[in-house]
Amino acid sequence: MNAEEKMKYQGRLLLFYGLLALMISTLLGTVGYRQLIETDFFSERVKVQNHRRIVTPAPRGNIYDREGRLLVGNKPKFSAVVYLSDAGVRSAFRNEYRILVRDYRERNEDYRTGRLQKQARANVIQTYLDDVNRMLGREDKVDIEKVSTHLNYNPLLPFPIIDDITREEFAVLLESLPVQSPVQVYVSNQRNYPYESTASHTLGYVSSTVLTPDEGLPGEDLTTFAEKGTFGRSGVEKQFDDILQGEMGMEIWVVDPYGFQVESQERRYPTKGNDIQLSLDIDIQNAAENAFWYYDQSEGKDKENIGAAVMLDASTLEVLAMVSKPDYDLNDTTPFISNETYEKMKENSGLQNRAIQGVYPPGSPFKLLTSAAAMKANIISADTAHYCPGYYRFSSGAVQRCWKQTGHQEEILWEAIRDSCNVYFYLTGLDTGVDIISNEATYWGLANRTGIDLPHETGSMRVGTKEYKRKITGQAWYAGDDTNLAIGQGFTRLTPLQMAVFAASVGRNEVVSTPSILRLSPQQVAQRPPPKATGLTKDQHQILLNGMIASAQMGSSQRIKVDGLSIAAKTGTAEVAKDGGKIELAWIVAFAPVENPQVSLAVIIEGQTLNENFFGGVHAAPIARAMLEAYTSKNPDALTPPPTATAALP
Amino acid sequence: MAWLMLPVFIKSIAKTSFYEFQAPVSLTSSYVRDLQDFWAARTKSKNELYEAGQGLARLNAAYELTALENNTLRDEISRLENLLQLPSRPDYQYEIARVVERDFNAWWQRIIIRKGRDYGIPVGAPVVFVGGVVGRVSEVHAYTSVVDIISNSHLRLAVVIGGDNRPMSYRGGGAESFATPVGIAEFIPVDIQISDTNDLPTLVTSGMGGVYPAGIRVGEIRRLKQGAGGMFYDGEVLLDERLASLTEVAVMIQIPPER
Repeated sequence: MNAEEKMKYQGRLLLFYGLLALMISTLLGTVGYRQLIETDFFSERVKVQNHRRIVTPAPRGNIYDREGRLLVGNKPKFSAVVYLSDAGVRSAFRNEYRILVRDYRERNEDYRTGRLQKQARANVIQTYLDDVNRMLGREDKVDIEKVSTHLNYNPLLPFPIIDDITREEFAVLLESLPVQSPVQVYVSNQRNYPYESTASHTLGYVSSTVLTPDEGLPGEDLTTFAEKGTFGRSGVEKQFDDILQGEMGMEIWVVDPYGFQVESQERRYPTKGNDIQLSLDIDIQNAAENAFWYYDQSEGKDKENIGAAVMLDASTLEVLAMVSKPDYDLNDTTPFISNETYEKMKENSGLQNRAIQGVYPPGSPFKLLTSAAAMKANIISADTAHYCPGYYRFSSGAVQRCWKQTGHQEEILWEAIRDSCNVYFYLTGLDTGVDIISNEATYWGLANRTGIDLPHETGSMRVGTKEYKRKITGQAWYAGDDTNLAIGQGFTRLTPLQMAVFAASVGRNEVVSTPSILRLSPQQVAQRPPPKATGLTKDQHQILLNGMIASAQMGSSQRIKVDGLSIAAKTGTAEVAKDGGKIELAWIVAFAPVENPQVSLAVIIEGQTLNENFFGGVHAAPIARAMLEAYTSKNPDALTPPPTATAALP
Repeated sequence: MAWLMLPVFIKSIAKTSFYEFQAPVSLTSSYVRDLQDFWAARTKSKNELYEAGQGLARLNAAYELTALENNTLRDEISRLENLLQLPSRPDYQYEIARVVERDFNAWWQRIIIRKGRDYGIPVGAPVVFVGGVVGRVSEVHAYTSVVDIISNSHLRLAVVIGGDNRPMSYRGGGAESFATPVGIAEFIPVDIQISDTNDLPTLVTSGMGGVYPAGIRVGEIRRLKQGAGGMFYDGEVLLDERLASLTEVAVMIQIPPER
C-alpha cells in the first residue's frame, strides 16, 4: 500500500470512526436522556404495565335506634376461596392443560386451545373443591363458565368455590386446610338486620355492586380490580349512603406478564363507615307492628292488616315509629334479592313505603282543616249550628248522605267534630268554598312533601282545587265537589306522614314541617325551620281540641283510650273506587297529652275486600292505642290528669 | 452435587429413614436424662422424699375427688344426651409421652416426643398438656413423633373466647430470636375489648373444627388492632410460658364412635 492509498484509507477510517463515535454518542446520549431526564415517565409506564390495584369495600356503618339499640349492623360472610395467583395453582393449570392436550392427541381428536384451557382450569378448581367437599361433607360442583369469567376479568381476586359457609364449616376449614394452601377461608361482610322485618321500609336495604374506587385512593392510573361492595337502595340505607359507606381499602400488586400477583407494594386497610342514630324507638315500632296483626275468624288464622302508621315527637318532629304493611324480612335482601324474594316483596305493593309513598283521601280527619279554614274566614264560629237529618239535598235534587242514616240533629262545631257529622261539614264546605279550604290546606303544608330525610317521598299528594279538577276531568267545580272536599273525599290525597305532621300542628296550634328520621341533638332541634302560626285564636283552637277530646272519650275514637293519658283524636273512613266497587280506608289521627303534646300519630288501614265496611274507630284506633301505650310505658311523665276540656262536654 | 446426582428412590429412602436413624440417638439421650433424674432423686434425703410423698398424697386425694366429680358429670352428660337424643361427643384416648427434644428457634417451633407408630399415634392428632394446647402431630416415625407447637406459624386452629361461641382463627406467630413465642388471632369480633390487663380474654379451642375438643386453653389475647377487612380485630396471643420447658405431653387419639 503506497502513501497515497494509505492516506485515502486513513481518511475513510477517520470518517468511519467519526460516524461510529457519533452513533455511539447518540446512543449514549439517548440512553442518558431516557435514564436521567425521562426516568419518571418510564417509571410510570413500567408501573402501569406491571402494577395492578385491588380495591376492597369497607364495612358499612351501623344504624341504631334513639336508645342506641342496633337496628342494622354487619355480619361476617364466610366463604371458601382459591387464590388463583398462587404459583401452585398456576402450575396445576399448566399441567392439567398438558394432560388434556396429550389425551386429545392420543385419541387423534381435534381440540380448541381456548376451550381446553377453560376445561383445564375448571378441572383444577374442581380438585380443590373436592378437597373442601370432603372436609365439609358437601357435593358442590364448579361452574366452568364462572371460573373462566373470573379469570378473564378478576384474575387477582380470590375465586369463591363455596359461598356463604356456616360458622361450623368455617371452623372445620380453619383446622383442616394447611396454612400455605391456595384454598383458604375468606371473610367478607354483609348487612345484618336483627329485627328482621321491623321498620323494613324505613331502614331500607342495600344492593351489591362493583363500587367505583374513591377519589384520592392511590394508584388511580393503574388497572383496578374492585371487589363487590354495597350501596343503599332504599330507606335510610340510601338516604345516608355517603355516611354509612366507609373508606375503601386497596392493595397495589406487582404482577408477572400473565397478570398474576408477585409482590404486594402498598396496602391500605378499609375503614368502616360512620354509624348513625335514628329517631326511631324500636319498642314503639314493635308495638305498632304487632298491633297490625289480627285473627281472621273466617280463615281461622292470624293475618296482617295492610296500611301504615306514623308516630312523631310532636315537639321535635322526630319520627318515633314508621310502619308500612305488608313488609319484608330485610335479611332476605342480603347478600342479594332472589327473584322469589322480589316477587314476594312486590305482593300487595309491599315494596312501597305507604307511610311516605301511599296517598289516600284523608277522610274525616280533614274536617279539622275545614273547621280551621272556616273559622279563620269567620264563616263559622263555636256556636254555629247546623241541622243534620241524615242527608243533604242539593238544589239539583241530588242527595248526599251522612254516615249516620238517622242524622245527628242539631249540632254545633265541637259536637260535629266529635260525631264526625258529614252534613255539618257539607254545609260548612259549601259556605266556605274550595278556594279558602284548599288555600288553608296548602298553608298547613298538606299540598307539598313534608321534606322528611328519607328518599322517594311521594310528590303525588294534593288538595282538591278547581284547576286540578279541570285539568284531570275537563269539568267545572260543582257544589258536590265542595261537600266532598270538606269531608276529606274527592280529589284530595295525602300521606299518613302528612297526617301525623298535621296532627302535631293541630296539637301545638302551630304549623310545623320537615319531620326527621335522624335523632336530633338540641342544637339541631334549635336549627329546625321555625313553626308558623296557624292563625287560629286560642278559643278557636280549643274548639278543635274539644271535638277531638270528646271523640277520644266518648265518640268514634274511644278505642284509643289509654288509662291516665289525655288524648285528642279524630277517626275517619275514606273511600276509593276499585273494580267497580269501593275499598274503605280506616283513619285515625291523634296527639297526646292534650295540654302539652309530646307525640302525634296517624294510622291508616286499607280495606282488603270490596264494599266491606271499615271504620277508623274499629280498625285503626287499636293500633294507635298500642303505640301510645308503648310510648307512655317509657314516658310516664306523659300521663297527666284527665283533660280539662271535659267541662265543654255535654 | 453428589446428592443431586443420586437417584430419586435413594434420596427418598434416605429422607424417610433419616429420622429413624436419628431417633435412637435422641431416644438414648432422653433415656439417659431420665436416668440422671432418677439418680438425682436417689440422692434426696428421706425427709425430702417423705415431704414430697405427703404433697403427692394430698394431690392424689384432690385428683381423686376431681375424678369422682368428672364421673358424675360424665354420667349427667350421658343422661342428657340420651334425653335430648344428641349424638355422643367424640371421645379420646390419651397417650402420655415424654418430650425427647425441643426445637424452638426462628425456623422451627416443634418438639419430638417419645412415642410414634408403636403407640398408634396418628398424624394430625392434637397434643395437650396441663396448660392447654401444645400443638398437633405433624410427623410420625417408628418410635418418635414430631409435634408442631402452637407458636408454629404453620399451625392454625379454630378458637373461641371463653364464654363466646363465635369461631375465630388462631395461628402461630413464629418466634423472633430471643423473643417469647406468640400467636395471632384473627377475625375477633369488634365487641371484644381489653379493658383490664389483669383479666385478658382467654382463647380456648372451639370444638367446631373437628380436631380439638372444645374448651382447651390456647392463650390470652393481650393486644388488639384493626383487622384487614375493617370488620374484625387481629390480636396478639400470649402463650403459656411452660411450653418452652415441656417434659411430658398427652396425645389425644380420637376413638371412632361405635356403630
